[in-house]
Amino acid sequence: MKLRIFRYDGEGSHYDEFQVPHESGQTVLDALFYIQENLDDSLSFRYSCRGAVCGSCAMLINKVPRLACRTQVKSLVEGEDDAEIKHYPALDKGDEIPEGAVLIEPLPHLPVEKDLIVDQDKFFEYYRDIEPMLKTEGKVPEKEYEMSPKEVNELEEYTNCILCAACFGACPVDGENEDYRGPAALAKLYRFHIDPRDNEDRLELADHEDGWWACEFHTNCRKVCPKNVPPNIAIGKARSQLQKEDE
Amino acid sequence: MENEILHEHEILVIGGGLSGLRASIEALRSGRDVAVLSKVHPLRSHSVAAQGGINAALGNTPDRGDDDWKDHAFDTVKGSDYLADQDAVDILCKKAPEAVIELEHMGTVFSRFDNGKIAQRPFGGAGFPRTCYAADRTGHNLLHTLYEQSISGKIKFYDEYFVTSLVKEDEKCVGCAALDVREGTLHAFSGNVILATGGFGRIYNRSTNALINTGDGAFLAYDIGAALEDMEFIQFHPTTLYGSNILITEGARGEGAYLKNSEGERFMNDYAPDAMELAPRDIVARAIITEVNEGRGIEDEYVHLDLTHLGEEKIKERLPGIRQIAMDFADVDPVKEPIPVQPGQHYSMGGILVDNDCETDVPGLYAAGECSCVSVHGANRLGGNSLLETVVFGKIAGKKASEEVKDKEIDESIFMDAVEKDRKLIDPIVEKKDGILYSEILKELRESMFHHFGVFRDGEMMKEGLEKIRSLKEKFEDVYVGSDDKKFNQALIRTLELRNMLLISEIVAIGAIEREESRGSHYRTDFTERIDEKYLKHTVVRKGEEGPELEYSPVNLDRFEVKEREY
Repeated sequence: MKLRIFRYDGEGSHYDEFQVPHESGQTVLDALFYIQENLDDSLSFRYSCRGAVCGSCAMLINKVPRLACRTQVKSLVEGEDDAEIKHYPALDKGDEIPEGAVLIEPLPHLPVEKDLIVDQDKFFEYYRDIEPMLKTEGKVPEKEYEMSPKEVNELEEYTNCILCAACFGACPVDGENEDYRGPAALAKLYRFHIDPRDNEDRLELADHEDGWWACEFHTNCRKVCPKNVPPNIAIGKARSQLQKEDE
Repeated sequence: MENEILHEHEILVIGGGLSGLRASIEALRSGRDVAVLSKVHPLRSHSVAAQGGINAALGNTPDRGDDDWKDHAFDTVKGSDYLADQDAVDILCKKAPEAVIELEHMGTVFSRFDNGKIAQRPFGGAGFPRTCYAADRTGHNLLHTLYEQSISGKIKFYDEYFVTSLVKEDEKCVGCAALDVREGTLHAFSGNVILATGGFGRIYNRSTNALINTGDGAFLAYDIGAALEDMEFIQFHPTTLYGSNILITEGARGEGAYLKNSEGERFMNDYAPDAMELAPRDIVARAIITEVNEGRGIEDEYVHLDLTHLGEEKIKERLPGIRQIAMDFADVDPVKEPIPVQPGQHYSMGGILVDNDCETDVPGLYAAGECSCVSVHGANRLGGNSLLETVVFGKIAGKKASEEVKDKEIDESIFMDAVEKDRKLIDPIVEKKDGILYSEILKELRESMFHHFGVFRDGEMMKEGLEKIRSLKEKFEDVYVGSDDKKFNQALIRTLELRNMLLISEIVAIGAIEREESRGSHYRTDFTERIDEKYLKHTVVRKGEEGPELEYSPVNLDRFEVKEREY
């Protein structure tokens, strides 16, 4: 099995090809470790949990942003890959997917630091900008705030976000407008907005042309999210609430 | 001229998981200048993977009456096979309700009962439904909450810094040296040090742990003279996904899932007829291995965790993460078919010896969470108690370390010497052009740890295992790194982690060989009984002139009478 991998060492970039023996249940992350441990120990990529919960290993795999640990190699080489996202310019920048091989490149829209590692500072800056912490005023209950299971279910859709930045790399708007806060930050902001414990007016924090209003509803964010978080729905709801308030 | 590689703070927290973040928040509240150093971005810490929940005697379950923290303490002590220190367990369980409520007030979205209160589920070894949860993503929710609380801008984060050594001045810990992984440069940091680096599960090849759990903190502490305690007690989680060993939460059994062998029998009936699937982890793990060894496994490797009778709705609501893991990593939908599971390393009960204020026996050095040993888990930890330990003792560590900050002129030369010493360790490994790669030694180490120091242990086997570890330590003398990149030289990091893991493995081995009894997770086929007269004691290992030196220390037995453990 052949992997074609983007390489960058701080100066020039190129692609390397590696032949990796196939094993049952092998993920792209397993294949990357095989290379690092046996073929070329200079290959760099982020990793931690290997179980799709920590969000370290989002990268561009066969032109779709996804977690390397959650992507089975078999599905890619046997043409079972059913991931479909809307095409955007960043996908044209690198190589094309070679026949019968896996193409692995760094996540788009963030500066590459080395090989498959991108600088996520901007992604986290936008996350911090939306002030992602619960803000409660007035009397704090002695015990827990009471909440209905229904309220919890709605919140869970958004608290499931693991901040892997796959959506940021998949969003065509983030590719064009570098000030756009991006799907993850906006979904997080919406999560605090709908939290019944939180009593700050949250929506206005992104009520500007690089916030809620920049989204063009390509919905790539939702399609690539490994946790099925729907930022597009959060953005749509936020916009209609803001419009109602205006009226 | 200002020293660009010396960073002065009052509190240095090493590790950005739950214990580290909780400690940082507390130190900040105490008015201290706090820095967090972590070899990964804090949100990538292993705490994020905890699934099932966090224990607290809230007594929220409708129609079940009140719960009592003393019952929680009893379950914890019994679960520990009486090796836990009962005064420390008191602290853990007494502070549990306020700790959970605090997390809720900070923003954690816990699952709820219909009456709006935090939902609680039954867990192994517990006499009451006491485990609070956020579906089966409790660790994820808690870690994100604490990270949110910690990014106000006042805590300085050094993400992707790998700590290479602790710095000592006059027998006191005064800081650390660390490699900036992004740039490949060494730096020094001053301040009281709180170690919160997690466990060392990755010395085993079958482990639920994140790949980053390599025992770095235990190594660092031992290296400057702190003691390690009860390192031989390794928890094997009964239900890890066959193939990848990703955790399948005990919460699945808490919700009613069955364990079945190849004959379709609920075999726990033969091992723990009362508790069945909800017996403590050590007992269930041994039962599964026994079933497989006696020919009642499937493909001679695993058993089935059957959730199908729970129904689609309950699985989707309470165990959505497990369902996704089973589908992504084993191509199995638990709504329709059973999940293939086998025991795998899960938790390090032992760790850096600390008192109830999280102080090690080196002044200026503190530890909390899985890297430490208070000891609240003894010989076997109960599910739901590790998340609890991180927040209760993380807070205590942050407070205590803050109280003991002293105004003192920094002696720069000590820090520069430490950096120089680490440079002399690292440069030759990178400059060396041939020898043995870390990956070769690591693979052998992990396989032998599982083989020689696994669920069932035996004196002769373990002695062979120790020889093996020592031969790998010799091989390590010849280790080299192929890549000479400065930026993100991960081969170098993994080589340094391997150095840590080899030492930790040796200490696990020594403790296990010397303990000629069976207690909790430490089960010996050549000494099958618990022997309280001889071994109701903590194993304590320190660095001596010629390697690790072992002694025993008493267990605090203030509250409960020591009894046989039956379930």
